[in-house]
Amino acid sequence: MSIIKTENLSKVYNPDTVPVHALNNVNISFEEGEFTAVRGPSGSGKTTLLNMIGGLDKPTEGSVTIDGVDISKLKDSKRIDFRLHNIGFVFQHYNLIPVFTARENVSFIMLLQKRGKKEIRERADALLDKVGLSKKKDSRPVQMSGGEQQRVAVARALASEPKFILADEPTANLDTESAMNLLDIMNRMNKEQNVTFIFSTHDQRVIDRARRVITMVDGAIHKDEEQHVAEQA
Amino acid sequence: MKTLVNISWRNIWRHPARSSVLIAAIVAGLWAGVVTVGLVNGLMLQRIDYLIESEVTHAQLHHPEFLAEGYSWLSIPDHDEIKNWLENDGRVKAFSFRTITDGMLQSPVKTSGVRIRGVDSESERRTTTFHENIVEGSYLDDDTPSAVIMGKTLADDHNMEIGNRIVLTFEDTNNELVSGSFNIVGIFQSASTTYDERNVFVRSNDLIRQLSDSPIYHEAGIMLENEELASAVVSELNSSFSGIEAQTWRQLSPELSMLVELGGVMVILITLIIMIALAFGILNTMLMALFERMRELGMLISIGMSRLRVFTMIMTEAVILTITGAAAGMLLAWITIRHFSTSGVNLEMFAEGAAQLGWDYIIYPVLTPMEFVAILAVVVVITLVASAYPAMKGVRINPLEASKSA
Ligand SMILES: Nc1ncnc2c1ncn2[C@@H]1O[C@H](COP(=O)(O)OP(=O)(O)OP(=O)(O)O)[C@@H](O)[C@H]1O
Ligand SMILES: [Mg+2]
Repeated sequence: MSIIKTENLSKVYNPDTVPVHALNNVNISFEEGEFTAVRGPSGSGKTTLLNMIGGLDKPTEGSVTIDGVDISKLKDSKRIDFRLHNIGFVFQHYNLIPVFTARENVSFIMLLQKRGKKEIRERADALLDKVGLSKKKDSRPVQMSGGEQQRVAVARALASEPKFILADEPTANLDTESAMNLLDIMNRMNKEQNVTFIFSTHDQRVIDRARRVITMVDGAIHKDEEQHVAEQA
Repeated sequence: MKTLVNISWRNIWRHPARSSVLIAAIVAGLWAGVVTVGLVNGLMLQRIDYLIESEVTHAQLHHPEFLAEGYSWLSIPDHDEIKNWLENDGRVKAFSFRTITDGMLQSPVKTSGVRIRGVDSESERRTTTFHENIVEGSYLDDDTPSAVIMGKTLADDHNMEIGNRIVLTFEDTNNELVSGSFNIVGIFQSASTTYDERNVFVRSNDLIRQLSDSPIYHEAGIMLENEELASAVVSELNSSFSGIEAQTWRQLSPELSMLVELGGVMVILITLIIMIALAFGILNTMLMALFERMRELGMLISIGMSRLRVFTMIMTEAVILTITGAAAGMLLAWITIRHFSTSGVNLEMFAEGAAQLGWDYIIYPVLTPMEFVAILAVVVVITLVASAYPAMKGVRINPLEASKSA
């Protein structure tokens, strides 16, 4: 069974003034363990699609079903709670809590989930080790590079043990080396722990790393193809 | 909750200068406000205590028309029975009967209209503290015949000194003009120069001798064990004796009882004005903090922080910010008030006119625990109200703010 399924998903911005049809009748599904890139020209609807799947915005028409739950029908407060327990987010601008250290940033989401103190501490430490930030656990965002901050963001997304992680242009603000490093980490998590990743990008090198590539044009799925990825050394 | 307090505390110090300025404003505002309240209170209480103790007393009784008309034949009937009653009532601490008439004071320099108050120095000393107002010479207790004490302003006006003589002229109870010569034995200065200009004191026996054939009294001043007994004692006196009217200090001096009520209103008003001014500071700071954190708050809501928690977080931040300042300000104010409650605050340089109006210029600030708690309550309520608006705004933030650039 698919973990995400959209049915006739449409989104119209400003329906009353200058309507923008950002998504037109999108029917698509995602399986557990995917490592998928969404590409397409600027304004093609990548962000809109990810926002719909992530339950951050409501569709104008159609539905988004996650693990059998139609999230477009959930009340706002229920949807927030649903996101907390089911969906991980990585943002283009990292969006860490600036007054918190890396460890606190990763712990915070688990505190929201009301996990035990000991578990939180152990998981936060283990995840920061995994994303290669063993030495930066007590650093605050301003003391870290963009690449490091984004790795904390990935650790934070992983911390809540979501069903999948959405990342809208996670490498757009990173230099090539940091971008590839981040992709390595995401890829490893995907392989080792079967974490599902869906990310949008303009960067061909990032697209090359995905096993499934969805191409959007004018708010519709233009192409949806599997691709073979050479094993990384 | 611990995490929310933690995050709020750190958010406050994200802009140390901005937060410090607000906290400093709250400290200064509350300190000034609470100390002002203490001073206003002190001033009122001192004024009330002083007037009660030196002049008004807790209760007085007169012939019902005496206060309005002032004729010397409007005297207190059955004064011996009343004296007896007062002597035997446990609630009465002291009392003093006075003989009063209006007349003219004549010196070689000029003539002035005065109220002549005949007092018994012994019972008057027990009842009021007026003798403490003597600044030169002595009170009426030595045996100089026909002694008089007069106010400093009046004495200066007439160029009179201790040992000089003046002539007092007044009508006796048969409407005959009588006059007598009196020796100045003391000069007094009460808190009111107007009072000092219009009142002279003689021994009641000296006055009665010229006024009437038998002892007459026009006023009895009564001090009670405490102020709260006044209305009960007054109503008992009124029902036990006819032809007199007893009144409490509140009835006798509406000015004083108005002061008491005004004091209470002032406390609330001063606190409110200061807190409303501070509320705008809190509002402004919190809105600034909110607008520059839209993306962060959008992220928090995106990843699953409930709107209630976001609300609580912003409220906590505002409350911690305010309460830090408020606690410091109130503590400082409390220390200040305590310090000056014994030594007093000398406002002499600002209070040139005060003495003339009968006000002290050394003020002993007073703040009751009740008032302290009331001020605290006002602070807490205003803080919550001022923080609620930014918190409500924070709650409505769209999670999509998280992906907006800049
Ligand atoms: N909040 C909004 N209000 C109005 N129109 C919007 C809004 N968000 C997006 N759009 C429009 O919807 C369309 C799809 O936008 P979307 O952001 O999903 O594209 P995108 O593929 O993510 O583009 P990019 O590669 O530039 O990020 C665009 O035409 C955009 O202008
Ligand atoms: Mg986009």
